[in-house]
Amino acid sequence: MSASSKRKNVAGITLCADPAREQCFHVAQDDAEMQSFEDSLSEAARRERLHRHMNNEMGALEIAAQCLADFPESPWELRMQLARQASDESRHVRALYRRLLQLGGRKGEFPIGNFEWAVTNMCDTVAGRLAIQNRTFEAGQMDLLGGLRKIWRSLGDETTAEVLEHILADEINHVRFANQWIRKMVQGDRRLLLKVASAIRFLADTNAALSAGPEGGPPESSFERHAKLGINVEDRRHADFSDDEINEILRQAGMSSLVRN
Amino acid sequence: MALILREKAEYLATLRWLEVFLMETLASWVPTTPEMEVKVLLGRHIWDAAQHADALGKRTFELRAPLHYTLTPLPRYLRFMKELASVEDTTGRIQAIYDVVLPGFAARCQHYLRNSDSLLDEPSFRVVEGSLNDYARMRREREEVCKEINGTLVFDSSRAREWSRQESAISDIVAHGSGSTLAPGVAV
Repeated sequence: MSASSKRKNVAGITLCADPAREQCFHVAQDDAEMQSFEDSLSEAARRERLHRHMNNEMGALEIAAQCLADFPESPWELRMQLARQASDESRHVRALYRRLLQLGGRKGEFPIGNFEWAVTNMCDTVAGRLAIQNRTFEAGQMDLLGGLRKIWRSLGDETTAEVLEHILADEINHVRFANQWIRKMVQGDRRLLLKVASAIRFLADTNAALSAGPEGGPPESSFERHAKLGINVEDRRHADFSDDEINEILRQAGMSSLVRN
Repeated sequence: MALILREKAEYLATLRWLEVFLMETLASWVPTTPEMEVKVLLGRHIWDAAQHADALGKRTFELRAPLHYTLTPLPRYLRFMKELASVEDTTGRIQAIYDVVLPGFAARCQHYLRNSDSLLDEPSFRVVEGSLNDYARMRREREEVCKEINGTLVFDSSRAREWSRQESAISDIVAHGSGSTLAPGVAV
């Protein structure tokens, strides 16, 4: 039985069951179970951020690998890209784990969540999975990393900033190949557009249902969260987003004044 | 006995099948293997297998077979590979890949090199020797990971020995003459 065909139910929503994790990890099912810190720049908070990022990279590895397992009929060139992505994400896990250990952390020190895996693997097309994981989650991570590396540098932690710098460079490639392949596949079969659109709708609905808003308020959208750190326009261009797509993202993030006319 | 050109394409196409199978097996094991260090090790090696398959697939085209020509191995070897791919425990998976599959692939590669001509077939030698170097590195990386997680996994060496015995007992893996190896559009 494929790992992507197992299911779990979270708050009434059917999602893909969690991938395998060691006993030392506590797997959270929603944001409320994740650890948060009043002082987001404390040493523990910094370790938690690295720990969370490490698990997210593990999830990205698992999603790319699962695409290879689930879609053997995909074009060989796309499979090569996914294989390369799996290797890149493995390297990211190792780099973040090494840094976590250097900062006195350990595996399982904080709760982890597998939201990206749980949502992405509900799609039954490779185009849909690329749209969610690479084009949305990883592109969002590009935005986050664009700001985070500067924050780590401002704290005097050049080593962590450099790790994030390398990860960001790799993520641009992952987003770029997804953008290019989605376009190519949709050109070949227009019906795929519907699959891609419904995948993104499913993500938005699930995100809204499971994300807790600040101080118990309404849930923040991923756009709102990313907007706090800014949209990484330059790297989105590198990742082959069109100007129209970037402008739409800026509008949704409440940054219409930055939109080019 | 030396291979003729058509048999070389078939042999390389079979090696390509093995690499794609390895890539897919590693890929399917990544989400279902709990240990983080092992998960990451398998994830790294997906890319190695993909690169080997890619290089072999390009070489088959140069030997007048289709681009990325892939030939399923003979049934006995196919069954054995599928049996290994069904292993569910982490130590068994590590042993299956690094103690049985990779040494087995290496032996098949050496067989090819012994039965080809390093001058006439030099591009194939480059591809196959590249794979052999990578297999050695991949096995070293396995050793490093096992040291890193020292003591948390207990290996049953007799199981790996038995699998290796079964693997090496299968002498022929290539289904010669089972399919058209001439690429469409190639003048006959």
